[in-house]
Amino acid sequence: MAATFFGEVVKAPCRAGTEEEEEEEEEGRRETPEDREVRRQLARKREVRLLRRQTKTSLEVSLLEKYPCSKFIIAIGNNAVAFLSSFVMNSGVWEEVGFAKLWNEWCRTTDTTHLSPAEAFCIFYHLKSNPSVILCQCSCYVAEDQQYQWLEKVFGSCTRKNTQVTILTCRHVTDYKTSESTGSLPAPFLKALKTQNFKDPACCSLLEQPNIVHDLPAAGVLSYCQVWKIPAILYLCYTDVMKLDLITVEAFKPILSSRSLKSLVKNIPQSTEILKKLMTTNEVQSNIYT
Amino acid sequence: MASRYDRAITVFSPDGHLFQVEYAQEAVKKGSTAVGIRGTNIVVLGVEKKSVAKLQDERTVRKICALDDHVCMAFAVFTIFIGLTADARVVINRARVQCQSHKLTVEDPVTVEYITRFIATLKQKYTQSNGRRPFGISALIVGFDDDGIPRLYQTDPSGTYHAWKANAIGRSAKTVREFLEKNYTEDAIADDNEAIKLAIRALLEVVQSGGRNIELAIIKRNQPLKMFSAKEIELQVTEIEKEKEEAEKKKSKKSA
Repeated sequence: MAATFFGEVVKAPCRAGTEEEEEEEEEGRRETPEDREVRRQLARKREVRLLRRQTKTSLEVSLLEKYPCSKFIIAIGNNAVAFLSSFVMNSGVWEEVGFAKLWNEWCRTTDTTHLSPAEAFCIFYHLKSNPSVILCQCSCYVAEDQQYQWLEKVFGSCTRKNTQVTILTCRHVTDYKTSESTGSLPAPFLKALKTQNFKDPACCSLLEQPNIVHDLPAAGVLSYCQVWKIPAILYLCYTDVMKLDLITVEAFKPILSSRSLKSLVKNIPQSTEILKKLMTTNEVQSNIYT
Repeated sequence: MASRYDRAITVFSPDGHLFQVEYAQEAVKKGSTAVGIRGTNIVVLGVEKKSVAKLQDERTVRKICALDDHVCMAFAVFTIFIGLTADARVVINRARVQCQSHKLTVEDPVTVEYITRFIATLKQKYTQSNGRRPFGISALIVGFDDDGIPRLYQTDPSGTYHAWKANAIGRSAKTVREFLEKNYTEDAIADDNEAIKLAIRALLEVVQSGGRNIELAIIKRNQPLKMFSAKEIELQVTEIEKEKEEAEKKKSKKSA
């Protein structure tokens, strides 16, 4: 690494370094038993486990094998979770079927028993009146190395052609690549990305190239659905307020007219009231930002 | 591309962006929402108020600050800074010193435009110096000049400033600005009370949990700044809700 006069940091190739690197690689190959043990412990710590709420025992098979479903709705991120909580979960009785327990450096808590919208969690519910509708509220961050485990534990490795998957998530508007300046974008706005087998129309415009979707929603769920030919659609809300925000959550409203959610939502005005209550009113003034 | 040209303020990217300035504008969006409305005889400043920590002295968390207070209170300049608190403090101090220096040199108080230009020039200097980052603040500067005309100016981290009839800065400023564009009419601002209501309605679009989280101040010609108490704001909010209900009833009657 080298710094230029203007303060840029650039990667400079160093001929003196390559010799040392080769030596280091050889040493690295000679792994001690302690290294192996540390690696094993770390893998155990980062294991993704799917548990039943009451018994705290692991599910023997994947979630969708145990609870086959026709509709699977996943909300990833706190704004998407708040949207499903106020608009979908309040119309109907939902029963919890399990929760995912995982740890990574992003977690501030390892205790998933005391849940609040402010803490990270990943819970699965099914509709009591129609158990083939499953909902997932995931507000914890699933790290790159844990995403495949999460997928295996949730989806398993069987193809499920009669399942339709809907994913909701948020991203900061500065990640949106466009020729317009970010100041002129109508944030928050909705974009959709779907798999080849999804035939229904999307509730908003599709995500244009060269934009990509990151993390669990895309690398995980959407890719999995594309490979296994499951019809799936991802609704991505680009917003300039990443924390829980009323306007960002309301930007998801066009999805309520989609085929998968239409039948699940009953009382919209009441949902809006519930949403307002969910908003943290005790948010303390940050001393850094006025 | 951005990752190679966004570390130094003095470097343009190949497509003409000063990324540090644009990132400073993102910092402003992390602050609360503030709205300013220029009426015919009044200027209204409203800001979203977040609760302070339990042990913190609320008086030291003020968002609406005076830049210059005149003896007869006939003219005064007030401002709201949104963004990094520490940057706001530094700029306010410099502006206050400048106001006094101007008064001593020229024997006249500053005009709102003069002090806005001073603040904007200061901000621009920090977008062109090596080793310094831009100020992460936007400001709404209001006041009356000695010609009795109300003024509202807005500055941003790049150092630009413009006069506005009504504007919003901070979190979700776009939503508030769109609301103002739809609802700002000459009739609305001709009446002082209507201008106050417009400011509160604009803030209610984005402030969660209503009137409790709004701070409001008004300046009328030849009068000192008046801060609204929580009760007065609640009264206004109740009136606004009543008017909304009546408007909706009328609408449903018409459609029926």
